[in-house]
Amino acid sequence: MIDVEHLSKRFGSTLAVDDVSFAIPRGEVVGFLGPNGAGKTTTIRVLTCYHPATAGAVRVAGADVVKDPIAVRRAIGYLPENVPLYPDMRVEEYLRYRAELKGVARGLRRAFVHQAMERCGVTEVRRKMVGHVSRGYRQRVGLADALVARPPILILDEPTSGLDPNQRRRMKALIKELAREHTILFSSHILAEVADVVGRVLVIHQGKLRADGKIADLLAAAPGRELRITARIAGQALLELLDGLSTQGGARITAEADGFSSVALGLARDADPRDEAWARLRARDVAVRELALVLPTLEQYFAHVTELAAVPQEAGT
Amino acid sequence: MSGAWTTFKRELASYLRSPVGYVIAFLLYLLRGFEVDRLLRLTAAYGIDRERFATAYLMQNSSLMLLILVPAVLTMRVFAEERRSGSLEVLLTAPVRDGAVVLGKWGASFAFFALLWAPAFVLLAWFQDTSYLGTSLTWGPILTGLLGMLLVGALLLAAGCFTSSLTDNQLLASLSAMLFAWVALYGPSQFRAPPVADDGVGATGLDAAWRWLDAQVIRPVLDDVNVADHLQSWFLRGIVNSAHVVFYVAGTAALLFLTTRSLEARRWR
Repeated sequence: MIDVEHLSKRFGSTLAVDDVSFAIPRGEVVGFLGPNGAGKTTTIRVLTCYHPATAGAVRVAGADVVKDPIAVRRAIGYLPENVPLYPDMRVEEYLRYRAELKGVARGLRRAFVHQAMERCGVTEVRRKMVGHVSRGYRQRVGLADALVARPPILILDEPTSGLDPNQRRRMKALIKELAREHTILFSSHILAEVADVVGRVLVIHQGKLRADGKIADLLAAAPGRELRITARIAGQALLELLDGLSTQGGARITAEADGFSSVALGLARDADPRDEAWARLRARDVAVRELALVLPTLEQYFAHVTELAAVPQEAGT
Repeated sequence: MSGAWTTFKRELASYLRSPVGYVIAFLLYLLRGFEVDRLLRLTAAYGIDRERFATAYLMQNSSLMLLILVPAVLTMRVFAEERRSGSLEVLLTAPVRDGAVVLGKWGASFAFFALLWAPAFVLLAWFQDTSYLGTSLTWGPILTGLLGMLLVGALLLAAGCFTSSLTDNQLLASLSAMLFAWVALYGPSQFRAPPVADDGVGATGLDAAWRWLDAQVIRPVLDDVNVADHLQSWFLRGIVNSAHVVFYVAGTAALLFLTTRSLEARRWR
Protein backbone atom coordinates (compact mmCIF):
# COMPACT_ATOMS: atom_id res chain seq x y z
CA MET A 1 0.00 0.00 0.00
CA ILE A 2 2.86 2.35 0.79
CA ASP A 3 6.09 2.19 -1.22
CA VAL A 4 8.92 4.55 -0.41
CA GLU A 5 12.06 4.36 -2.51
CA HIS A 6 15.19 6.35 -1.72
CA LEU A 7 13.25 9.21 -0.23
CA SER A 8 15.27 12.28 0.70
CA LYS A 9 13.97 15.62 1.94
CA ARG A 10 16.13 18.68 2.36
CA PHE A 11 15.15 21.93 4.07
CA GLY A 12 17.74 24.49 3.05
CA SER A 13 21.03 23.04 4.23
CA THR A 14 19.45 20.48 6.58
CA LEU A 15 18.91 16.97 5.29
CA ALA A 16 15.81 15.96 7.26
CA VAL A 17 15.29 12.59 5.59
CA ASP A 18 18.21 10.79 3.99
CA ASP A 19 17.67 8.00 1.46
CA VAL A 20 14.88 6.16 3.25
CA SER A 21 13.25 3.14 1.64
CA PHE A 22 10.51 0.90 2.98
CA ALA A 23 7.33 -0.81 1.87
CA ILE A 24 4.16 -1.47 3.81
CA PRO A 25 1.84 -4.13 2.38
CA ARG A 26 -1.94 -3.98 2.71
CA GLY A 27 -3.29 -4.73 6.15
CA GLU A 28 -0.03 -4.30 8.04
CA VAL A 29 0.31 -2.17 11.15
CA VAL A 30 3.71 -0.55 11.38
CA GLY A 31 5.23 1.54 14.14
CA PHE A 32 7.41 4.42 13.10
CA LEU A 33 9.95 5.11 15.83
CA GLY A 34 12.55 7.72 16.37
CA PRO A 35 13.57 10.41 18.80
CA ASN A 36 12.09 13.87 18.39
CA GLY A 37 13.49 15.53 15.29
CA ALA A 38 14.50 12.24 13.68
CA GLY A 39 12.51 12.84 10.49
CA LYS A 40 9.28 10.98 11.32
CA THR A 41 6.93 13.88 10.74
CA THR A 42 8.80 14.99 7.63
CA THR A 43 8.49 11.50 6.13
CA ILE A 44 4.80 11.43 7.01
CA ARG A 45 4.26 14.84 5.42
CA VAL A 46 5.77 13.58 2.19
CA LEU A 47 3.44 10.56 2.29
CA THR A 48 0.43 12.82 2.80
CA CYS A 49 1.54 15.15 -0.04
CA TYR A 50 2.03 18.12 2.28
CA HIS A 51 5.73 18.42 1.49
CA PRO A 52 7.19 17.39 -1.85
CA ALA A 53 10.20 15.08 -1.67
CA THR A 54 13.62 16.39 -2.67
CA ALA A 55 14.50 13.03 -4.20
CA GLY A 56 13.05 9.55 -4.42
CA ALA A 57 9.72 8.03 -5.35
CA VAL A 58 6.71 7.55 -3.10
CA ARG A 59 3.60 5.64 -4.08
CA VAL A 60 0.55 5.28 -1.87
CA ALA A 61 -2.26 2.91 -2.86
CA GLY A 62 -0.71 2.69 -6.32
CA ALA A 63 -0.72 6.46 -6.93
CA ASP A 64 2.38 8.62 -7.11
CA VAL A 65 2.49 11.51 -4.62
CA VAL A 66 3.74 13.92 -7.28
CA LYS A 67 1.61 12.88 -10.23
CA ASP A 68 -1.66 12.15 -8.50
CA PRO A 69 -1.69 13.75 -5.04
CA ILE A 70 -5.49 13.83 -4.88
CA ALA A 71 -5.75 10.03 -5.25
CA VAL A 72 -3.06 9.63 -2.57
CA ARG A 73 -4.85 11.96 -0.16
CA ARG A 74 -8.13 10.19 -0.83
CA ALA A 75 -6.54 6.89 0.22
CA ILE A 76 -5.13 8.29 3.47
CA GLY A 77 -6.76 9.24 6.73
CA TYR A 78 -4.27 11.45 8.50
CA LEU A 79 -4.03 12.45 12.15
CA PRO A 80 -1.31 15.10 12.43
CA GLU A 81 0.68 15.68 15.57
CA ASN A 82 -0.97 18.25 17.91
CA VAL A 83 -4.32 17.67 16.16
CA PRO A 84 -5.08 21.15 14.85
CA LEU A 85 -8.85 21.52 14.46
CA TYR A 86 -11.21 24.45 13.90
CA PRO A 87 -12.17 25.51 17.44
CA ASP A 88 -15.24 27.47 16.29
CA MET A 89 -17.15 24.44 15.01
CA ARG A 90 -19.14 21.83 16.89
CA VAL A 91 -17.76 18.29 16.86
CA GLU A 92 -20.42 16.76 14.66
CA GLU A 93 -20.53 19.79 12.39
CA TYR A 94 -16.75 19.63 11.98
CA LEU A 95 -16.85 15.94 11.07
CA ARG A 96 -19.63 16.55 8.56
CA TYR A 97 -17.64 19.32 6.97
CA ARG A 98 -14.59 17.06 6.77
CA ALA A 99 -16.63 14.21 5.29
CA GLU A 100 -17.97 16.55 2.62
CA LEU A 101 -14.49 17.92 1.93
CA LYS A 102 -13.21 14.37 1.53
CA GLY A 103 -15.91 13.66 -1.03
CA VAL A 104 -18.22 11.37 0.95
CA ALA A 105 -21.49 11.29 -1.01
CA ARG A 106 -24.31 13.33 0.49
CA GLY A 107 -26.53 10.31 1.22
CA LEU A 108 -23.76 8.48 3.10
CA ARG A 109 -22.42 11.40 5.11
CA ARG A 110 -24.67 11.11 8.13
CA ALA A 111 -24.03 7.38 8.52
CA PHE A 112 -20.27 7.75 8.05
CA VAL A 113 -20.03 10.59 10.55
CA HIS A 114 -22.11 8.72 13.11
CA GLN A 115 -20.07 5.58 12.77
CA ALA A 116 -16.79 7.47 13.10
CA MET A 117 -18.09 9.26 16.22
CA GLU A 118 -19.30 5.96 17.66
CA ARG A 119 -15.99 4.18 17.08
CA CYS A 120 -13.91 6.97 18.54
CA GLY A 121 -16.25 7.54 21.46
CA VAL A 122 -17.00 11.18 20.80
CA THR A 123 -20.77 10.84 20.40
CA GLU A 124 -21.34 12.33 23.86
CA VAL A 125 -19.52 15.55 22.94
CA ARG A 126 -20.97 15.90 19.42
CA ARG A 127 -22.74 19.16 20.23
CA LYS A 128 -19.77 20.75 21.98
CA MET A 129 -17.44 23.25 20.38
CA VAL A 130 -14.21 21.62 19.24
CA GLY A 131 -12.29 24.32 21.11
CA HIS A 132 -14.01 23.43 24.38
CA VAL A 133 -13.43 19.66 24.60
CA SER A 134 -10.55 18.13 26.56
CA ARG A 135 -7.27 17.03 25.05
CA GLY A 136 -8.30 13.37 25.04
CA TYR A 137 -11.50 14.13 23.19
CA ARG A 138 -9.72 16.41 20.75
CA GLN A 139 -7.35 13.59 19.89
CA ARG A 140 -10.32 11.30 19.32
CA VAL A 141 -12.12 13.88 17.21
CA GLY A 142 -8.95 14.06 15.11
CA LEU A 143 -8.97 10.28 14.77
CA ALA A 144 -12.67 10.32 13.86
CA ASP A 145 -11.77 12.86 11.16
CA ALA A 146 -9.06 10.51 9.85
CA LEU A 147 -11.60 7.66 9.75
CA VAL A 148 -14.65 9.46 8.50
CA ALA A 149 -14.22 8.87 4.76
CA ARG A 150 -13.21 5.22 5.43
CA PRO A 151 -9.80 5.39 3.77
CA PRO A 152 -7.80 2.17 3.37
CA ILE A 153 -4.73 3.71 5.01
CA LEU A 154 -4.39 5.50 8.33
CA ILE A 155 -1.34 7.59 9.12
CA LEU A 156 -1.24 8.64 12.76
CA ASP A 157 1.48 11.00 13.94
CA GLU A 158 2.03 10.64 17.70
CA PRO A 159 -1.60 9.67 18.38
CA THR A 160 -0.95 9.04 22.09
CA SER A 161 1.12 12.10 22.93
CA GLY A 162 -0.35 14.35 25.59
CA LEU A 163 -2.87 11.77 26.81
CA ASP A 164 -3.14 10.44 30.36
CA PRO A 165 -2.49 6.72 30.94
CA ASN A 166 -6.16 5.72 30.71
CA GLN A 167 -6.71 7.69 27.55
CA ARG A 168 -3.54 6.16 26.11
CA ARG A 169 -4.78 2.68 26.86
CA ARG A 170 -8.08 3.43 25.18
CA MET A 171 -6.38 4.99 22.16
CA LYS A 172 -4.18 1.91 21.76
CA ALA A 173 -7.17 -0.42 22.03
CA LEU A 174 -8.90 1.64 19.36
CA ILE A 175 -5.89 1.49 17.05
CA LYS A 176 -5.72 -2.28 17.53
CA GLU A 177 -9.35 -2.53 16.58
CA LEU A 178 -8.82 -0.35 13.52
CA ALA A 179 -5.91 -2.54 12.47
CA ARG A 180 -8.42 -5.16 11.40
CA GLU A 181 -9.63 -2.99 8.55
CA HIS A 182 -6.87 -0.52 7.78
CA THR A 183 -3.22 -0.41 6.86
CA ILE A 184 -1.75 1.72 9.64
CA LEU A 185 1.48 3.68 10.00
CA PHE A 186 1.73 4.97 13.52
CA SER A 187 4.55 7.14 14.77
CA SER A 188 5.73 7.53 18.32
CA HIS A 189 8.78 8.17 20.40
CA ILE A 190 7.37 6.09 23.22
CA LEU A 191 8.38 2.49 22.59
CA ALA A 192 5.99 0.77 24.93
CA GLU A 193 3.11 2.36 23.02
CA VAL A 194 4.28 0.81 19.82
CA ALA A 195 5.25 -2.61 21.15
CA ASP A 196 1.68 -3.20 22.37
CA VAL A 197 0.06 -2.38 19.09
CA VAL A 198 2.25 -3.21 16.14
CA GLY A 199 4.14 -6.19 14.81
CA ARG A 200 6.71 -4.35 12.76
CA VAL A 201 8.71 -1.22 13.45
CA LEU A 202 10.73 1.21 11.40
CA VAL A 203 13.38 3.04 13.39
CA ILE A 204 14.54 6.36 12.02
CA HIS A 205 17.30 8.50 13.46
CA GLN A 206 18.96 11.61 12.08
CA GLY A 207 17.00 11.14 8.87
CA LYS A 208 18.28 7.64 8.21
CA LEU A 209 16.36 4.39 8.53
CA ARG A 210 18.26 2.42 11.18
CA ALA A 211 16.10 -0.65 11.45
CA ASP A 212 13.11 -2.28 9.85
CA GLY A 213 11.57 -5.56 10.97
CA LYS A 214 9.44 -7.44 13.46
CA ILE A 215 10.10 -6.36 17.03
CA ALA A 216 10.94 -9.92 18.13
CA ASP A 217 13.41 -10.41 15.26
CA LEU A 218 15.11 -7.09 15.89
CA LEU A 219 15.50 -7.83 19.58
CA ALA A 220 16.73 -11.38 18.95
CA ALA A 221 19.43 -10.05 16.66
CA ALA A 222 20.33 -7.08 18.83
CA PRO A 223 23.34 -6.94 21.12
CA GLY A 224 22.65 -7.08 24.84
CA ARG A 225 21.35 -10.66 24.99
CA GLU A 226 22.17 -12.33 28.29
CA LEU A 227 21.90 -15.71 29.97
CA ARG A 228 20.89 -15.14 33.60
CA ILE A 229 21.39 -17.87 36.15
CA THR A 230 20.67 -17.92 39.87
CA ALA A 231 21.96 -20.99 41.74
CA ARG A 232 22.92 -22.08 45.29
CA ILE A 233 26.66 -21.79 44.90
CA ALA A 234 29.27 -19.10 45.49
CA GLY A 235 29.46 -16.50 42.77
CA GLN A 236 33.03 -17.16 41.75
CA ALA A 237 32.44 -20.92 41.65
CA LEU A 238 29.38 -20.40 39.45
CA LEU A 239 31.42 -18.33 37.02
CA GLU A 240 34.08 -21.04 36.86
CA LEU A 241 31.42 -23.68 36.31
CA LEU A 242 29.98 -21.77 33.39
CA ASP A 243 33.34 -20.78 32.00
CA GLY A 244 33.45 -20.49 28.24
CA LEU A 245 29.73 -20.14 27.69
CA SER A 246 29.76 -16.38 27.34
CA THR A 247 30.32 -15.50 23.71
CA GLN A 248 30.22 -11.73 23.91
CA GLY A 249 30.85 -9.19 26.62
CA GLY A 250 32.00 -11.68 29.27
CA ALA A 251 30.36 -12.85 32.45
CA ARG A 252 29.66 -11.01 35.72
CA ILE A 253 28.18 -11.62 39.12
CA THR A 254 25.03 -9.56 39.56
CA ALA A 255 24.00 -10.56 43.11
CA GLU A 256 24.97 -12.82 46.02
CA ALA A 257 22.56 -13.42 48.88
CA ASP A 258 21.30 -16.25 51.13
CA GLY A 259 23.85 -18.63 49.64
CA PHE A 260 22.51 -17.99 46.15
CA SER A 261 24.46 -16.21 43.45
CA SER A 262 23.22 -14.60 40.28
CA VAL A 263 25.38 -14.24 37.19
CA ALA A 264 24.81 -12.77 33.77
CA LEU A 265 26.64 -14.07 30.70
CA GLY A 266 26.81 -11.83 27.63
CA LEU A 267 25.78 -13.61 24.45
CA ALA A 268 26.40 -13.00 20.80
CA ARG A 269 23.44 -13.01 18.44
CA ASP A 270 21.97 -16.49 17.83
CA ALA A 271 23.96 -17.99 20.71
CA ASP A 272 21.79 -20.06 23.08
CA PRO A 273 23.84 -22.08 25.63
CA ARG A 274 20.91 -22.79 27.95
CA ASP A 275 21.05 -26.56 27.54
CA GLU A 276 24.80 -26.67 28.06
CA ALA A 277 24.54 -24.53 31.20
CA TRP A 278 21.76 -26.69 32.59
CA ALA A 279 23.80 -29.84 31.92
CA ARG A 280 26.81 -28.44 33.76
CA LEU A 281 24.74 -27.30 36.76
CA ARG A 282 23.02 -30.68 37.00
CA ALA A 283 26.32 -32.55 36.81
CA ARG A 284 27.41 -30.67 39.98
CA ASP A 285 23.97 -31.10 41.52
CA VAL A 286 23.52 -27.39 42.16
CA ALA A 287 20.09 -26.09 43.10
CA VAL A 288 18.92 -23.68 40.41
CA ARG A 289 16.33 -20.95 40.94
CA GLU A 290 16.49 -19.23 37.61
CA LEU A 291 17.92 -19.93 34.20
CA ALA A 292 16.73 -17.58 31.51
CA LEU A 293 17.72 -16.11 28.20
CA VAL A 294 16.98 -12.39 28.41
CA LEU A 295 16.53 -10.29 25.32
CA PRO A 296 17.32 -6.61 25.45
CA THR A 297 14.25 -4.46 26.05
CA LEU A 298 12.98 -2.35 23.24
CA GLU A 299 14.23 0.63 25.26
CA GLN A 300 17.78 -0.74 25.27
CA TYR A 301 17.58 -1.62 21.63
CA PHE A 302 16.35 1.85 20.77
CA ALA A 303 19.11 3.49 22.78
CA HIS A 304 21.63 1.29 21.05
CA VAL A 305 20.34 2.04 17.55
CA THR A 306 19.90 5.74 18.03
CA GLU A 307 22.83 6.61 20.26
CA LEU A 308 25.57 4.41 18.92
CA ALA A 309 24.05 4.74 15.48
CA ALA A 310 26.63 2.45 13.96
CA VAL A 311 24.57 -0.68 13.46
CA PRO A 312 24.04 -1.87 9.91
CA GLN A 313 20.40 -2.13 8.87
CA GLU A 314 18.83 -5.26 10.28
CA ALA A 315 16.52 -7.79 8.68
CA GLY A 316 14.75 -6.02 5.84
CA THR A 317 11.29 -6.56 4.46
CA MET B 1 -14.68 22.03 -7.57
CA SER B 2 -16.90 20.58 -4.84
CA GLY B 3 -13.98 21.27 -2.50
CA ALA B 4 -14.33 24.99 -3.23
CA TRP B 5 -18.06 24.90 -2.41
CA THR B 6 -17.48 23.01 0.84
CA THR B 7 -14.73 25.45 1.84
CA PHE B 8 -16.96 28.38 0.87
CA LYS B 9 -19.79 27.19 3.11
CA ARG B 10 -17.52 26.61 6.10
CA GLU B 11 -15.75 29.95 5.74
CA LEU B 12 -18.96 31.91 5.27
CA ALA B 13 -20.44 30.23 8.36
CA SER B 14 -17.28 31.20 10.22
CA TYR B 15 -17.67 34.87 9.17
CA LEU B 16 -21.31 34.87 10.20
CA ARG B 17 -20.48 33.33 13.56
CA SER B 18 -17.56 35.55 14.42
CA PRO B 19 -18.31 38.86 16.16
CA VAL B 20 -15.73 40.68 14.01
CA GLY B 21 -18.08 41.07 11.06
CA TYR B 22 -20.86 42.49 13.21
CA VAL B 23 -18.56 44.95 14.94
CA ILE B 24 -17.33 46.15 11.54
CA ALA B 25 -20.89 46.46 10.26
CA PHE B 26 -21.97 48.37 13.36
CA LEU B 27 -19.13 50.90 13.13
CA LEU B 28 -19.52 51.34 9.38
CA TYR B 29 -23.23 52.01 9.57
CA LEU B 30 -22.85 54.31 12.53
CA LEU B 31 -20.47 56.38 10.42
CA ARG B 32 -22.69 56.03 7.37
CA GLY B 33 -25.64 57.23 9.40
CA PHE B 34 -23.90 60.53 10.16
CA GLU B 35 -22.75 60.87 6.56
CA VAL B 36 -26.19 60.27 5.12
CA ASP B 37 -27.73 62.66 7.60
CA ARG B 38 -25.30 65.37 6.47
CA LEU B 39 -25.94 64.55 2.83
CA LEU B 40 -29.69 64.84 3.28
CA ARG B 41 -29.31 68.22 4.96
CA LEU B 42 -27.14 69.45 2.13
CA THR B 43 -29.62 68.14 -0.39
CA ALA B 44 -32.47 69.86 1.38
CA ALA B 45 -30.52 73.13 1.68
CA TYR B 46 -28.95 73.43 -1.73
CA GLY B 47 -30.71 70.87 -3.88
CA ILE B 48 -28.63 68.27 -5.65
CA ASP B 49 -29.76 66.56 -8.79
CA ARG B 50 -30.70 62.93 -8.56
CA GLU B 51 -27.66 61.50 -10.26
CA ARG B 52 -25.24 63.46 -8.15
CA PHE B 53 -27.08 62.32 -5.07
CA ALA B 54 -26.48 58.70 -6.06
CA THR B 55 -22.78 59.33 -6.61
CA ALA B 56 -22.40 61.23 -3.39
CA TYR B 57 -24.36 58.62 -1.47
CA LEU B 58 -22.00 55.84 -2.48
CA MET B 59 -18.76 57.80 -2.37
CA GLN B 60 -18.53 58.47 1.36
CA ASN B 61 -15.75 57.93 3.86
CA SER B 62 -17.47 54.79 5.06
CA SER B 63 -17.24 53.43 1.51
CA LEU B 64 -13.53 54.13 1.45
CA MET B 65 -13.19 52.34 4.77
CA LEU B 66 -15.16 49.50 3.30
CA LEU B 67 -12.59 49.32 0.51
CA ILE B 68 -9.36 49.96 2.40
CA LEU B 69 -9.89 48.50 5.87
CA VAL B 70 -12.56 45.86 5.52
CA PRO B 71 -11.06 43.54 2.86
CA ALA B 72 -7.78 43.54 4.79
CA VAL B 73 -9.50 42.65 8.07
CA LEU B 74 -11.78 40.04 6.50
CA THR B 75 -8.97 38.19 4.76
CA MET B 76 -6.08 38.57 7.20
CA ARG B 77 -6.85 35.33 9.00
CA VAL B 78 -7.76 33.11 6.03
CA PHE B 79 -4.35 31.51 5.64
CA ALA B 80 -2.21 33.20 8.30
CA GLU B 81 -4.37 31.86 11.12
CA GLU B 82 -4.53 28.35 9.64
CA ARG B 83 -0.81 28.33 9.24
CA ARG B 84 -0.25 29.50 12.81
CA SER B 85 -2.61 26.93 14.35
CA GLY B 86 -1.42 24.16 12.05
CA SER B 87 -4.87 23.43 10.64
CA LEU B 88 -3.53 24.30 7.18
CA GLU B 89 -1.89 20.87 7.21
CA VAL B 90 -5.23 19.19 7.90
CA LEU B 91 -6.88 21.23 5.17
CA LEU B 92 -4.23 20.69 2.51
CA THR B 93 -3.85 16.95 3.13
CA ALA B 94 -7.55 16.46 2.40
CA PRO B 95 -8.30 15.43 -1.18
CA VAL B 96 -8.89 18.98 -2.44
CA ARG B 97 -6.79 21.11 -4.77
CA ASP B 98 -5.06 24.17 -3.37
CA GLY B 99 -6.87 26.27 -5.98
CA ALA B 100 -10.26 25.07 -4.73
CA VAL B 101 -9.35 26.03 -1.17
CA VAL B 102 -8.22 29.49 -2.30
CA LEU B 103 -11.35 30.00 -4.38
CA GLY B 104 -13.62 28.86 -1.54
CA LYS B 105 -11.99 31.13 1.02
CA TRP B 106 -11.94 34.14 -1.27
CA GLY B 107 -15.53 33.46 -2.35
CA ALA B 108 -16.70 33.44 1.27
CA SER B 109 -14.91 36.71 2.03
CA PHE B 110 -16.47 38.24 -1.09
CA ALA B 111 -19.95 37.04 -0.13
CA PHE B 112 -19.55 38.57 3.32
CA PHE B 113 -18.18 41.78 1.84
CA ALA B 114 -21.19 42.00 -0.47
CA LEU B 115 -23.44 41.39 2.52
CA LEU B 116 -21.88 44.38 4.27
CA TRP B 117 -23.07 46.59 1.39
CA ALA B 118 -26.65 45.37 1.60
CA PRO B 119 -27.90 47.75 4.33
CA ALA B 120 -26.77 50.76 2.27
CA PHE B 121 -29.20 49.69 -0.42
CA VAL B 122 -32.02 48.87 1.93
CA LEU B 123 -31.59 52.41 3.23
CA LEU B 124 -31.79 53.81 -0.30
CA ALA B 125 -34.93 51.86 -1.06
CA TRP B 126 -36.42 53.38 2.07
CA PHE B 127 -35.58 56.93 0.90
CA GLN B 128 -37.26 56.06 -2.35
CA ASP B 129 -40.43 54.86 -0.70
CA THR B 130 -40.93 57.73 1.68
CA SER B 131 -39.88 60.22 -0.99
CA TYR B 132 -37.54 61.70 1.56
CA LEU B 133 -35.72 63.51 -1.19
CA GLY B 134 -38.76 64.94 -2.76
CA THR B 135 -37.72 63.26 -5.96
CA SER B 136 -37.30 59.72 -7.19
CA LEU B 137 -33.89 58.06 -7.42
CA THR B 138 -32.11 57.04 -10.57
CA TRP B 139 -31.08 53.47 -10.01
CA GLY B 140 -28.66 53.28 -12.95
CA PRO B 141 -25.64 54.95 -11.34
CA ILE B 142 -26.43 53.33 -8.01
CA LEU B 143 -26.34 49.85 -9.47
CA THR B 144 -23.25 50.47 -11.59
CA GLY B 145 -21.69 52.14 -8.55
CA LEU B 146 -22.37 48.99 -6.55
CA LEU B 147 -20.92 46.90 -9.38
CA GLY B 148 -17.77 49.04 -9.28
CA MET B 149 -17.49 48.74 -5.49
CA LEU B 150 -17.90 44.97 -5.67
CA LEU B 151 -15.33 44.65 -8.46
CA VAL B 152 -12.79 46.74 -6.56
CA GLY B 153 -13.64 44.79 -3.42
CA ALA B 154 -13.07 41.48 -5.23
CA LEU B 155 -9.61 42.65 -6.26
CA LEU B 156 -8.68 43.90 -2.80
CA LEU B 157 -9.99 40.75 -1.12
CA ALA B 158 -7.86 38.67 -3.48
CA ALA B 159 -4.88 40.86 -2.52
CA GLY B 160 -5.73 40.22 1.15
CA CYS B 161 -5.83 36.46 0.55
CA PHE B 162 -2.45 36.74 -1.09
CA THR B 163 -0.79 38.68 1.76
CA SER B 164 -2.36 36.27 4.25
CA SER B 165 -0.85 33.33 2.40
CA LEU B 166 2.62 34.86 2.70
CA THR B 167 2.85 34.96 6.48
CA ASP B 168 1.52 33.45 9.68
CA ASN B 169 1.26 36.90 11.24
CA GLN B 170 -2.27 38.26 10.86
CA LEU B 171 -1.30 41.84 11.67
CA LEU B 172 1.37 41.84 9.01
CA ALA B 173 -1.06 40.31 6.52
CA SER B 174 -3.73 42.93 7.17
CA LEU B 175 -1.32 45.88 7.12
CA SER B 176 0.14 44.73 3.81
CA ALA B 177 -3.34 44.35 2.37
CA MET B 178 -4.26 47.87 3.55
CA LEU B 179 -1.11 49.24 1.98
CA PHE B 180 -1.99 47.50 -1.26
CA ALA B 181 -5.52 48.96 -1.18
CA TRP B 182 -4.24 52.44 -0.34
CA VAL B 183 -1.74 52.39 -3.18
CA ALA B 184 -4.32 51.01 -5.61
CA LEU B 185 -6.78 53.80 -4.71
CA TYR B 186 -4.44 56.78 -4.34
CA GLY B 187 -1.13 55.78 -5.86
CA PRO B 188 -1.83 56.37 -9.55
CA SER B 189 -3.19 59.90 -9.07
CA GLN B 190 -0.44 60.83 -6.61
CA PHE B 191 2.41 59.81 -8.83
CA ARG B 192 4.28 62.69 -10.43
CA ALA B 193 7.23 62.36 -12.74
CA PRO B 194 10.21 64.36 -11.43
CA PRO B 195 10.41 67.74 -13.17
CA VAL B 196 12.83 68.07 -16.04
CA ALA B 197 14.02 71.18 -17.80
CA ASP B 198 11.69 71.98 -20.70
CA ASP B 199 14.19 72.55 -23.44
CA GLY B 200 17.59 73.91 -24.27
CA VAL B 201 19.65 74.52 -21.17
CA GLY B 202 20.09 71.55 -18.89
CA ALA B 203 17.98 69.15 -20.93
CA THR B 204 19.94 66.03 -21.62
CA GLY B 205 19.18 62.96 -23.62
CA LEU B 206 18.29 61.25 -20.37
CA ASP B 207 15.68 63.90 -19.58
CA ALA B 208 14.14 63.50 -22.99
CA ALA B 209 14.06 59.75 -22.62
CA TRP B 210 12.46 60.10 -19.22
CA ARG B 211 9.84 62.52 -20.56
CA TRP B 212 9.05 60.10 -23.37
CA LEU B 213 8.80 57.20 -20.92
CA ASP B 214 6.47 59.21 -18.69
CA ALA B 215 4.18 60.27 -21.50
CA GLN B 216 4.14 57.04 -23.46
CA VAL B 217 4.35 54.35 -20.81
CA ILE B 218 3.99 55.41 -17.18
CA ARG B 219 1.08 57.81 -17.54
CA PRO B 220 -1.11 55.53 -19.71
CA VAL B 221 -0.47 52.56 -17.47
CA LEU B 222 -1.25 54.56 -14.35
CA ASP B 223 -4.43 55.82 -15.98
CA ASP B 224 -5.43 52.28 -16.74
CA VAL B 225 -4.96 51.12 -13.16
CA ASN B 226 -6.37 54.23 -11.48
CA VAL B 227 -8.94 52.56 -9.28
CA ALA B 228 -10.25 55.77 -7.72
CA ASP B 229 -10.75 57.29 -11.18
CA HIS B 230 -12.51 54.14 -12.40
CA LEU B 231 -14.96 54.52 -9.56
CA GLN B 232 -15.49 58.28 -9.64
CA SER B 233 -15.48 58.99 -13.35
CA TRP B 234 -17.12 55.83 -14.57
CA PHE B 235 -18.96 53.38 -12.33
CA LEU B 236 -20.49 55.98 -10.04
CA ARG B 237 -21.73 57.97 -12.99
CA GLY B 238 -23.52 55.00 -14.42
CA ILE B 239 -20.98 54.12 -17.08
CA VAL B 240 -19.56 50.61 -17.28
CA ASN B 241 -16.40 50.33 -19.33
CA SER B 242 -15.81 46.70 -20.22
CA ALA B 243 -12.04 47.29 -20.13
CA HIS B 244 -12.36 48.19 -16.45
CA VAL B 245 -14.45 45.12 -15.72
CA VAL B 246 -11.84 42.96 -17.42
CA PHE B 247 -9.11 44.73 -15.42
CA TYR B 248 -10.72 43.82 -12.07
CA VAL B 249 -11.73 40.31 -13.02
CA ALA B 250 -8.29 39.53 -14.46
CA GLY B 251 -6.52 41.22 -11.55
CA THR B 252 -8.57 39.19 -9.06
CA ALA B 253 -7.84 35.97 -10.96
CA ALA B 254 -4.12 36.79 -11.11
CA LEU B 255 -3.93 37.47 -7.37
CA LEU B 256 -5.82 34.26 -6.57
CA PHE B 257 -3.44 32.37 -8.82
CA LEU B 258 -0.49 33.93 -6.97
CA THR B 259 -2.11 32.92 -3.68
CA THR B 260 -2.31 29.31 -4.85
CA ARG B 261 1.33 29.40 -5.93
CA SER B 262 2.36 30.94 -2.64
CA LEU B 263 0.61 28.13 -0.73
CA GLU B 264 2.50 25.62 -2.83
CA ALA B 265 5.79 27.46 -2.44
CA ARG B 266 5.51 27.59 1.36
CA ARG B 267 5.47 23.80 1.39
CA TRP B 268 8.93 23.65 -0.06
CA ARG B 269 10.45 25.20 3.02
